[in-house]
Amino acid sequence: MHAVRIVWRVTRLNFRAQLEYRSEFLLMVAIGAIWQVSVIVFATVLLTRFTGMGGWDSSEVLLIPATRMLAHGLMVLFLGRMFGIGRDIQEGRIDVYLTRPMPVHRQVQLAYFPTNAIGDLTVAAGLMAGALSRSHLDWTAVRISYLIAAIIGGMLLEAALFTALASASLRFPAAEYWARWLEELLGTFGSYPLNVLPKAVGGFLTYALPLAFVAYFPAAVLTGHGHDTGVPYWLAAASPLLGVLVYLASRLLWRRSLAHYAGVNA
Amino acid sequence: MSASIEVRGLSRTFHTTVRRPGFTGTLRSLVNPERVAKHAVSDITFDVSPGELLALLGPNGAGKSTTIKMLTGILTPTAGEARVAGVVPYLERERNARNIGAVFGQRTQLWWDLPVRESFSILRDIYEVPKAEHASRLKEFDDILDLSSFWDTRVRHLSLGQRVRCDLAAALLHDPPVVFLDEPTIGMDVVVKEQVREFLRHQVEQRGRTVLLTTHDMTEVERLAERVVLINHGRLVLDGSLDEIRRTFGSTWQVRATLADAHTDVVPPPGIAVLRQDGPQVVFGPDGPDAPTVHQALKAVIERYEVTGIAIDEADLEDVMRAAYVQAGAA
Repeated sequence: MHAVRIVWRVTRLNFRAQLEYRSEFLLMVAIGAIWQVSVIVFATVLLTRFTGMGGWDSSEVLLIPATRMLAHGLMVLFLGRMFGIGRDIQEGRIDVYLTRPMPVHRQVQLAYFPTNAIGDLTVAAGLMAGALSRSHLDWTAVRISYLIAAIIGGMLLEAALFTALASASLRFPAAEYWARWLEELLGTFGSYPLNVLPKAVGGFLTYALPLAFVAYFPAAVLTGHGHDTGVPYWLAAASPLLGVLVYLASRLLWRRSLAHYAGVNA
Repeated sequence: MSASIEVRGLSRTFHTTVRRPGFTGTLRSLVNPERVAKHAVSDITFDVSPGELLALLGPNGAGKSTTIKMLTGILTPTAGEARVAGVVPYLERERNARNIGAVFGQRTQLWWDLPVRESFSILRDIYEVPKAEHASRLKEFDDILDLSSFWDTRVRHLSLGQRVRCDLAAALLHDPPVVFLDEPTIGMDVVVKEQVREFLRHQVEQRGRTVLLTTHDMTEVERLAERVVLINHGRLVLDGSLDEIRRTFGSTWQVRATLADAHTDVVPPPGIAVLRQDGPQVVFGPDGPDAPTVHQALKAVIERYEVTGIAIDEADLEDVMRAAYVQAGAA
């Protein structure tokens, strides 16, 4: 309870601080939205030029970028500060965090308010509203619950990938460059039904880099394509659970890496 | 009473890759990297008693910051052990964090975008300090450091001196018994430096805090430190008082006396040598490792001879430390 109170208090203060710089605040919100321009273009082209993709109709495909974007926006909002860990190491901020009686991971997340997440989430909410309004599915309580679980699982899975890279950065600061590549990759391939891609690429995005579990598999399960994903149905359906497990594993990795932290000296 | 800081055979080794010269060398390093061990700290042992201010000195790269990082729980030692207020810092990081305050002169522990006072109140929540206690401590710090004139300013808009004063206050708001200061006055003007020194003196003398300080400012050492630990190349070179440092590392003083009788047969007291004599003008200096301090020498000269005038020249600590670093480096 004490920890929750501190997190809430610092977040509130950080948000208020961002609001006080009006132009900077609006600029960051706009950047968050503009950053997702490729997804917006993809959705527009999909809805206006194509009737479907890879055996999915357009409204079903739209559920993939909407789920991924919402998961991504929430990840940026709640767990996204691992992205800049290289700078935190270089500037000695990790050293400072280690001298406070609070988990370092939590302090990294509380360093500032990610205003750009507002832009991300605005675009994501718009896409999800569009996807749901065009959907022909019967949105029962079970489906809605699964969609929410999938979004949270996707958020955790994406956070796990960045936490794993941040853990590597603690020992090898150059690992941070991989985070940029990863974000680019997630943005580029995260909107498609992966069955339209060559098998090798689909396999890579399933087993090497589990992007498929963020939005593609959950959307497939929701839209009735769960048996045509190339993986057992139970595995595709377990995507939200996998997100939780992979995130917990990444936090364990973070803890272990922190024990070997050597700062800029090494 | 047991020591506040206990350090036993503490060592830290970093492994780095050797860069071979030239383009071919770089390619060879890429294919077949040669790893070498760099011993940043080697087998250091010392204690700091409760309420003592110890200056940890040494040239750049000597291992001072690495030592402090191990004692604050930032780094895990390769060998040896350390206890700070009874806690092993690298094994119980969060418990250790409650017992210590730390200021690293070149980086801040305050929230960059928030007014300083908000950072203070967040730290109050983190360390669970009662509100009344927090307010009274803040007032005490404000009286010496003059914080209230800028504590509603965001940290990003503070000058260096203002920021470090706030960092000092932030490090002590939870009343830690042990404080680590890594070059706290670096880049400050003389007025602010003096303000910070007064604050530190107050914390040691009135509040009984144990302070471990690293600095390159010898005036600071002279004004604050009771004891000095000198390290170089990661090894402890000397652990003692400033007088011991002066005695060990140089002929650092001269006593110039004018004798009443120019024909006096000058046989100097033990540990003192006659460096020059010109009629009644005699210049004494230290002789050997057991030489007295300048004040002891002054007393001995006055007691032994009838003098009509006397003056002392004492090399400042900066000269002594320069000699110490050179000798320690050559050792």
